[in-house]
Amino acid sequence: MTRLIKGELFKLRTTRLPFGLFAAAAGLSALFSILEASRAGTKSVAPLSTAAGLNNVLTGGVLALLFAAVLGVTISSGEFRHETATTTYLATPKRSRVLIAKSVAGACGGAAFGFAGWLIATGVGLGFVAADGYTAQISDATLARYAAGHIAAGALMAAIGVGIGSLIRAQLAGVLGVFVWAVVIESVIGSMFNSIQPYLPYTAATTLAGSVLGGAAFGPAHGASSSASPLPFAAATALLAAIAIVISAIAARTTVVRDIS
Amino acid sequence: MAIIEARGLTKRYGHVLAVDRLSFAVERGQVAGFLGPNGAGKTTTLRMLLGLVRPEAGDAAINGRAYSDLPDPLRQVGAVLEASSFHPGRTARNHLRIEAMVAGIDAARIDVVLDLVGLSEAADRRVRGFSLGMRQRLGLATALLADPEVLILDEPANGLDPEGVRWLRDLVRGLAAEGTAVLISSHILAEVAQTVDSVIIVNHGRVVVQAPIAELTATARLEDVFLGLTANSNGV
Repeated sequence: MTRLIKGELFKLRTTRLPFGLFAAAAGLSALFSILEASRAGTKSVAPLSTAAGLNNVLTGGVLALLFAAVLGVTISSGEFRHETATTTYLATPKRSRVLIAKSVAGACGGAAFGFAGWLIATGVGLGFVAADGYTAQISDATLARYAAGHIAAGALMAAIGVGIGSLIRAQLAGVLGVFVWAVVIESVIGSMFNSIQPYLPYTAATTLAGSVLGGAAFGPAHGASSSASPLPFAAATALLAAIAIVISAIAARTTVVRDIS
Repeated sequence: MAIIEARGLTKRYGHVLAVDRLSFAVERGQVAGFLGPNGAGKTTTLRMLLGLVRPEAGDAAINGRAYSDLPDPLRQVGAVLEASSFHPGRTARNHLRIEAMVAGIDAARIDVVLDLVGLSEAADRRVRGFSLGMRQRLGLATALLADPEVLILDEPANGLDPEGVRWLRDLVRGLAAEGTAVLISSHILAEVAQTVDSVIIVNHGRVVVQAPIAELTATARLEDVFLGLTANSNGV
């Protein structure tokens, strides 16, 4: 299994797409963090001198989690897009082992995405706080917990993406599905049904990374007050891990065993 | 003892019976031509041998075991199935490095096989820019990476220039002389006649003949024998 995981990690390093996704994740994390920091203290937005204001800026980094899921989708569906599944399964005919190795490799890549998102948003947030002459109202311990949350959420979102890509196989559909789910469906469901909002996968990933519930939602649902509370760190981690395992298990039983013709 | 065995392989796609109770065997050190018209079931059969397609009935074995049960399969079987099984954005060398990594093969073999197939100078170019012949050579390099005792080649001469075709023939004959069993599917019958020891001809998913090439071509050219056997839609 170690050889297989090394092979999958090497695949990631030897094509351009993962680097392109990483650059997009980093660029958008920086953009959204800067936008949040720029509008802090205006109208009803909390100023950077408060914990809530700084937390809003840190939310910009959770966009990287979305790209971690996309990375996962491309890792598995890319085998069918480029017709490399034949070569992969000739080397490793036990296909569930390939799926596990891809999930592990995806999780490593996703963790890097999550960490980059945290690093950029935290840098932007603390930079704006310092530039404005404030003192950061979020402790080092909390920032460290956010870092751990970003890394764990990035890893698990990528593992979920690998499962989705294995299940759907069509890369474009998988990538679009991830964006539509996170940007539209979760935002709509989350604002309509507050009680289930903490359990929605992308929402759980963002709260794991330190975002307030609804803070990472898009459109009218963004920052909508919720009567529910975010899941605790361990519960959110367990939920995302369970989702990754269930999707991969379904894929392993259905699409992964299909003929490669 | 046969090293490649197909026993009653059957596969249906919807209403189409692609492979129908197909059986054959290939011995060590033998080069067997696997021939048939388009749609005869050759590629499906090769994919069933390699565990990529699941048969509805029958089984296939290499070295007495199903492909999926082979420990380190790349060390036992090298296969060239299609010229497009490479990520276009990856270099030839990196493609081989992945295969070597997964199969636990010494990385020094990469330069050996690249040199063997004549791709040393193109090793660090992305596959996107490769011609069909270069992709075929990369496929052969992949198949030969672990120096396997069985080779399964589906139309390996596609895209090769005349020099490449001759090189491939010499390579296959040389490997067979060292004990490698080679199952080779091709439509280039004149080339097959010069390369193989025996021929398996399939039509409508069934074997219509398996015989030594010398026996089949004793009184007629392989092309005439082939056309005669496959013209009958019910098989022979």
